[in-house]
Amino acid sequence: MKRLTNKMNKTLLITMPKYDDGTEYLSYYASLVEKKAEELNIDKKSFKEGDITANNVSKYIKKKDPKLIFVNGHGDADSLEGDEGEVIFSIEKNINLLRDRIVYARACHAGISFGKKMVEENNGCFIGYKTPFSFWMDERNSAVPAKDKTAKLFLEPSNEVVISLIKGNTAKEADKKSKKMMVDNMSKILKMQEKDEPGAIGWLEILWNNFEGQILYGNEEATF
Amino acid sequence: MNKEKEDKRNDEIKELVLARLNVMPPNYKLSVGNKGTFTKDQLIESVKKGDEIGQQIVLIQMNFIKALTSGKLIETLNQ
Repeated sequence: MKRLTNKMNKTLLITMPKYDDGTEYLSYYASLVEKKAEELNIDKKSFKEGDITANNVSKYIKKKDPKLIFVNGHGDADSLEGDEGEVIFSIEKNINLLRDRIVYARACHAGISFGKKMVEENNGCFIGYKTPFSFWMDERNSAVPAKDKTAKLFLEPSNEVVISLIKGNTAKEADKKSKKMMVDNMSKILKMQEKDEPGAIGWLEILWNNFEGQILYGNEEATF
Repeated sequence: MNKEKEDKRNDEIKELVLARLNVMPPNYKLSVGNKGTFTKDQLIESVKKGDEIGQQIVLIQMNFIKALTSGKLIETLNQ
């Protein structure tokens, strides 16, 4: 039976692993969401490298009951990871912890099985990817992700999912706004391609992969 | 589609992927889900070998071609 009201805490939980180039970038972009949450006076808890374990995250969720969970990192069809090699949520062990919550997983493949299972018979919502979430990065700026204009084309629209949610939009609207940003960036990339930017089509293919791969399961009217 | 035609199509797509990767400037790297981050040369090697990453890149290309030829990409951009 679905709950009609949801008394969870209006708290945002973010995981920010940093153990390879990919997670370094994901965590930098997650820090921009942290800053936005601060601006909006949103209560938040960030788990950073070394602390993103199943035990730590589960304990926090049971104690503080956060409504919105933003997972950065790696995953597969059945699970989401925190620190390197550390599974923090899995279908097998603790997916029930995520009942009735909103989860955005910036990780690959969790949209295949994990997301669907998470929202079964509850009011929760999962936004994630059924394809590998991928992005190009400019190695000249990889030490300073903030300066990497190429990676921004992929990661800014992804941030928009959580930013829209913490601004009060529904999950459906957040997904839509994120996809609109991806479409706008695809149009920008096409213009670059017309000006003979050599990598442009390669960027477009990957952004299309993320666009097509982004899925929403469960309660699309869920709000933070 | 029979096996021969399918193999030919896959080879053509592989060649297209390699052509795209060849024009990518060398300073770009691709982060692919939980598989890691790869330089242009590593991606080219993977596509030629047909390993897991290579297959993933080819699949992404195939989906992109489908979107292009079906009109879905243009329709999406024009929304």
